[in-house]
Amino acid sequence: MTQQTIKVRPTKIELIRLRRRLSLATRIQKIIKDRLSILMLEFLQIARETVEARQKMLDEFSMAYRSLSVASGLHGYLALEKEFQASEKELELISGSRNVAGARVVSFELKEDKTPVKSYSLVDTSAYVDQTRQLFESCLRSMVALAELQSSLELLGKEINRTKRILNALDYLIIPGLKETIKFLYMKFEERDREEKSRLKRVKALLEQRGG
Amino acid sequence: MTDESPYERMLQESLKDELRLLNAHLPSEQKTLSDLLEEEYPHVTCNDGSTHLFKRNELDYLSGLLTSDKQESLLLPMIIEVNPGQNEMAVICRNDVEKDVIRAVLDMPVTVDNGRITIYGPQLSQLRKTLKTTTQYLFSPKILG
Repeated sequence: MTQQTIKVRPTKIELIRLRRRLSLATRIQKIIKDRLSILMLEFLQIARETVEARQKMLDEFSMAYRSLSVASGLHGYLALEKEFQASEKELELISGSRNVAGARVVSFELKEDKTPVKSYSLVDTSAYVDQTRQLFESCLRSMVALAELQSSLELLGKEINRTKRILNALDYLIIPGLKETIKFLYMKFEERDREEKSRLKRVKALLEQRGG
Repeated sequence: MTDESPYERMLQESLKDELRLLNAHLPSEQKTLSDLLEEEYPHVTCNDGSTHLFKRNELDYLSGLLTSDKQESLLLPMIIEVNPGQNEMAVICRNDVEKDVIRAVLDMPVTVDNGRITIYGPQLSQLRKTLKTTTQYLFSPKILG
């Protein structure tokens, strides 16, 4: 593929400017490559964690529903629903952001509340109900963790795409374009030199003819 | 004068932005672990004005590793320096506390050389997995030339 040159006047000052731009572009290319490798490392790490967190959450939900089924079998579904209807617990979710190599990703944290839910009657219910509650609380924590990981994965993916586009522009457009233009300018200067030399030779020959 | 196309001008602008945001995420000041443990929402403000939130469980993990006087000297977030074109990174150490933390997290002996602990890719993954919010990347000024 032929690279398009930038339209510039063939002067030395333009050559100096272009060389400066090329050195800046090469430096930025190095930086972006480093940043991309860090972002990829983080992305892969979060992807692995997301898979683990999803599996953990599914396992916990499976255990929690199994426990709920045992508890509802023991107490009866209607009685259990009546007990749980009155149960309430306030949850505090801390939402913020953290920065991963320039990419801002979300951060969720469920604030640990040590006070247990005691709104249902402890006399009318069994330990199975408590166990079910504990299991569902753990499911909630897993859901929050998974939500954070998935949104981070998405944001990092977008940032990687953006960085890749810039790197590709540098690799395939800006740097080759600058190199091509510099090469073109050198060729222009050489051509001028050759013209100058042949002109001088011609003048010299004319002077010699007149003198002779 | 250089006749730049709008596309090229846009690319130049986006490259300048890249340089600007490269280290903008660094904290404007680091806080000690003991200070952060006392905060309700432990956080630091970054150079770009954004807030970097620390995870409570990470802070608790670090406090479990260190004695109370060492907690007062551990500055967070810890800085991981990314060196240009190399596979190695360096954790910047102001004192021996960082060394203790890295040794405990990586479960291997580490040495401090010129105030830096050199780590490699797999160790970086392990470190970032354990200390996601309490570590931060710094793109070395050497990259910027």
